[in-house]
Amino acid sequence: MPTTRGRIGAIAVACLAVHGTTLAQGKAEDGLAVGRQMLAEDNPGELWIEQGKTLFHQKRGPKNASLEQCDFGLGPGKLEGATVRLPRYFPDTDRVQDLESRLLTCMVQLQGFNRDDIVKRAISPALSNGSDVEALALYITSRSNGLKMNVALSHQKEYDMYKAGEYLFYRRSGQTDFACVQCHGEANKRIRLQDLVHMTDKKGVQEVTSTWPAYRGAHFVVRTMQWRLSDCFWQMRLPELTYASDVSIALTTYLHYQGNGAVIKVPGFKR
Amino acid sequence: MKKTWLKWAALSTPALIAAGCATFPDQATTRQIAEKMVSEDFTAPTPALLKRLVQDRSQHICSKIGEARLTQEEAAEVVKLARASIQYPQSGKLVGDWKTGETLALDGAGDRIQRGALEKRKENGGLCQNCHALAPGEINVGNIGPSLTGYGLQRGNSEAIAKLTYERIYNGWAYAPCSNMPRLGATWHLSSEQITHLVAYLIDPQSPVNTK
Repeated sequence: MPTTRGRIGAIAVACLAVHGTTLAQGKAEDGLAVGRQMLAEDNPGELWIEQGKTLFHQKRGPKNASLEQCDFGLGPGKLEGATVRLPRYFPDTDRVQDLESRLLTCMVQLQGFNRDDIVKRAISPALSNGSDVEALALYITSRSNGLKMNVALSHQKEYDMYKAGEYLFYRRSGQTDFACVQCHGEANKRIRLQDLVHMTDKKGVQEVTSTWPAYRGAHFVVRTMQWRLSDCFWQMRLPELTYASDVSIALTTYLHYQGNGAVIKVPGFKR
Repeated sequence: MKKTWLKWAALSTPALIAAGCATFPDQATTRQIAEKMVSEDFTAPTPALLKRLVQDRSQHICSKIGEARLTQEEAAEVVKLARASIQYPQSGKLVGDWKTGETLALDGAGDRIQRGALEKRKENGGLCQNCHALAPGEINVGNIGPSLTGYGLQRGNSEAIAKLTYERIYNGWAYAPCSNMPRLGATWHLSSEQITHLVAYLIDPQSPVNTK
């Protein structure tokens, strides 16, 4: 299984590379769009969905339990439409949680896993078979495919998270003087040849909120929103963002709320 | 009828109050909540590296949310701070070696933190190509900043242009307060000497940037 997956990924990326080169001589963006389209039609990330499904229903961990009793906000085990409402406030933890932090809660409470162990492995190395969290996050999100993002703000902590996320999106720091908005505040911008999503635009932010988790061609693995955020902070030369921390959930709350109405279609495909 | 209404009112009032109370926090509260998160949610190999998250006065002013714009006073303060920050190389020579500058301009690495370790290099890359078009024909360039292709052809290589170019790289906020351009010299991402090489890369007639 991992070998097949790797091979398909390799072919997919090779195709993108070839396309990128030929078309770069014309219009760079169009060339990348063609390659992306090709991959979207035959996304290697699909292979992770089955793995996530198996992991979800399997009895695992010190407590030998499945995740079937995990409540993502619509009741235990109800997955369809759950991620369109995330992040949201959960009374049992008294926190606003995104998909991945909620998953952590369940893996710890229901299955008895050690939180630090899961966090350590949550973001998998490139070219690996991926992590449990990555496969689970993709499977759970895929159960909302075709549904519209619909994050609501009603609890005070949800309002706080949203506003904190907005503040953080514009907060400049570090030796590059970057906040999110320096790269994601205008249309048709690129870092080198990589397109940057225009997140202060409705359509742009909807692209973000509807396509994670995504298959990352350059890494041959499925990546999640938590990874996306931590990778940005890395490039900004800032300290390491703690997995499933409030900063990450605040930014996700801000972006997801802005992107309400987007139709979920995962796995996305990223270069 | 009246009883039903009373019962309904009694049941829904707490809910309404709860819903009515919840609303967007004001600016000061938002800042407090978010800054607390920033102070708790990052790790670094050394405590000194965590200081990268602490905003200086100019960064604070330049973090306007949404459509909010700089006031005249704020812009003037950022410019003043930027002017005061600029230091010139000991040698007094502002134009270095364009070839060294080219290598630097195309280098996007250095000083990143991952898996508990700081990316250790002798010196940081200049990051230029990430955002600016440079030599003509090079496709792998970003477009967040303006194109610098033909920079020297358009401006010449006079002493005044060399000084302006040095200052704009060292701390561009002296000319364009709060622009997207990192204050590469003022934040110590690049050394004064590195900046002189970038100046040469931009204005030297022999540099590929100025290929006709």
